[in-house]
Amino acid sequence: MNRSFSWKKGFFLLFLILFVLGFPRLVDAYFLHLAVTFFLAMILASSWDILARTGQVSVGQAGLFGIGAYTAAILFNRIHLSPVLGMVAGAMVSVLVAALLGYLTLRLRGIYFSITTIAFAEALSVIWLMTPGFTGGAMGLSTPPLFGGDRQQAYYLILGILALTVAAVWLIQSTRLNFAFTAIRENEEVANVMGINPTRYKVLAFMVSAFFTGFAGGFYSHYNTYIIPYEVFGLGISIACLVMPIFGGLYTITGPILGTIIVKVIEEYLRVTVSYGHQIAYGLILVLVVLFMPEGVVGLWRNKISPLFRPASR
Amino acid sequence: MEWADFLQSFANGLLIAGLYAAVTLGLTLVLGVMGIVNFAHGEMVMLGAYNTFWLFTLLGIDPLLSIGLSGLLLFFIGLFIYRFTIRPILNDPPLNQLLLTLGLSIFLQNLAMIFWKTDSRSVITPYSGISLSLGEVHVGLTRLLTFLIAVGLTLLLLLFLYKARPGRAMRAVSENNTASWLIGINVQKTYLLAFGVACALAGAAGALVSTVMYTFPMVGFKLSLKAFCILVLGGLGNIPGALFGSVILGLTESFVGTYVPEGSGWAEGISFILIMIILIIKPTGLVGTRRE
Repeated sequence: MNRSFSWKKGFFLLFLILFVLGFPRLVDAYFLHLAVTFFLAMILASSWDILARTGQVSVGQAGLFGIGAYTAAILFNRIHLSPVLGMVAGAMVSVLVAALLGYLTLRLRGIYFSITTIAFAEALSVIWLMTPGFTGGAMGLSTPPLFGGDRQQAYYLILGILALTVAAVWLIQSTRLNFAFTAIRENEEVANVMGINPTRYKVLAFMVSAFFTGFAGGFYSHYNTYIIPYEVFGLGISIACLVMPIFGGLYTITGPILGTIIVKVIEEYLRVTVSYGHQIAYGLILVLVVLFMPEGVVGLWRNKISPLFRPASR
Repeated sequence: MEWADFLQSFANGLLIAGLYAAVTLGLTLVLGVMGIVNFAHGEMVMLGAYNTFWLFTLLGIDPLLSIGLSGLLLFFIGLFIYRFTIRPILNDPPLNQLLLTLGLSIFLQNLAMIFWKTDSRSVITPYSGISLSLGEVHVGLTRLLTFLIAVGLTLLLLLFLYKARPGRAMRAVSENNTASWLIGINVQKTYLLAFGVACALAGAAGALVSTVMYTFPMVGFKLSLKAFCILVLGGLGNIPGALFGSVILGLTESFVGTYVPEGSGWAEGISFILIMIILIIKPTGLVGTRRE
C-alpha cells in the first residue's frame, strides 16, 4: 500500500467529510433515509470484513444483528432505557454472545464455521418465535420513532457509528493486528508456530465484528420502529453482510464501503421494479464475483483500470 | 394409549426420514466425489417440487409420474450449472466454492419468488386423503409412497455406484482423483455426471416433497439446512451415514413434536441445534473423517 501522504488524497478526503456532514442540509427526507440505510449497510459490510480477515466466513451475521435489535427494543419496552444506551447495550450483548460462540466454534475451519453460523441465526429465529412472552414472537416488537422521528439526528448518529467502524478497520489494518489476522487467514498452523495465538485473535475479530453489527441492529430496531424475527434473524441480512464486502473487495477499507454503495443502488432499483425477490442481485453478484473478479471492485480498479491511466514512462 | 402415541410418532419420524434421505443423497454424492458442499442443492429440490406442482396443476400429470420428469429436467439443469459455474472453480479454495453455490442458492430462491411469488402451494391428489391403519398407527398413503420411493431411489443409487461402470468411476474418483486419472478414468466427465445425477436425485426428491409438504421458494433452503444437519450427523460424504443421519433427525423431530409442549414449532429448530452441538463437540461430524 502506498503510505505517502498526497495532497490529492487529502483534498478528496476533506471534501468527502464536508459533503457527508452537510448532506442533510442538501437533500429531502427520502434521500436522507436512503443515506441512513446505506450507512447502516456499510457498518454491516465493514464489520463482516473484520471477521473475514481472520479467515472466518460468517453466514449468520443476522444472529448478532437480531440480538442487538431485540436487546435495544426489549430494554426500551421494559425499562424505558434511552434508545442510544439501548443500542450500546445491544452491541454489548452481541459481543458477549460472539465471545461465547467464538470460543465454542474455534476448532471449526472454513465451511464448518459457515454452516454453524447459519444454524446459529436460524436457531435464534426459532427460539424467538417460540417464546412470544418475552420476545413478542412472530408479531415482533415495536418502539416509538427514534429521536421523535428526527431523521437528521438519526443520520448523524449512524454516521458517527460508521466513522467508528471505519476507524476500527483502519486501526486493524495499520497495526500489527493486520499481520496477525492475515497470518491466521493464510495458514493457522504456521501462524501458531510464529507465536501468534489464533484463539485470541479469532475471538477478538468476532467480538469487534459483533460490536458494530449489534449496534447496527439496535439502531435498526429504533429507526425502523418495528422488528420481527423473520427479518432481523433472516438469511437476507446475513447474505447482505457478506455480498457487499465481497463485491467491493475483501480486506480493504474502501472495498466494503464501495461495494455497499453499488449493491444497494442495484437493490433499491430492483425494489421498485420487482415486487418479490429483489435479493436476486445478491445471488447473481456472488456468482459473478467468484467467477470473474475474485478481488472485487477494488481489485479490478487496482489491477485493470487504474494502470490504463498511469503515465507510460514508468 | 401412550404406547400408541409412541408408535405413531416413531412411524411418522421414519416416514419423514425417507424424504430427508432422498434430499440428502445428491448432496452426499457431490460432497463425496467432488469435495464440494453444494448450498444450492436444496434449490434443485425446490425446482423439482415446482415442476411437479405445475405439471400436476396445468396438465394433470400425477406427481408420482413426474418423479422421472423432474429428475430428467434437473439432470440437464445440473449439467448446465456444472459446466458454467462449478467447473471453473474446481481448484479454488473451498470458501470460494461455498460462496459460489451460496450465490446460486440465493439467485434461484429469488428467481422462484419473482416467477411464482411467495405463496405456499400444495399438490392434492385424489388419493391424498387416504390413510392406512395398522393397529393403532395411522399412516397417510402419500407419505408411505414417498417413503417407499425414497428407499427405492437410495437402492438405485447404491446399485449404480457399485455395479455400473460410471458409478464405480465415481467411487474411484472420490477415493483419489489423481490415481483415477492415472488409470484412465476421465475425471472431468465423472464430475459432470456426478453433479448431474445429484441434481436429478434432487429433482426426484422435489417431486416427493411437493406431495407431502408445501412448495414455496424457501422450501429448498429449509431442506438444505436439514440436509446439512444430516451430513453432520452421519459423517460427510458417505451414503450409509446420510441414511443414518436422516433416521436420527426424522425421529428426533417427530418425538419432540409429540412430547414437548408446542413441539411442532420447536421441532423446526432441532436441526440447527443439532448442527451446533455436534460440530462444537466434534468438529469433524459425529462419525467419519475430516475432509478439507
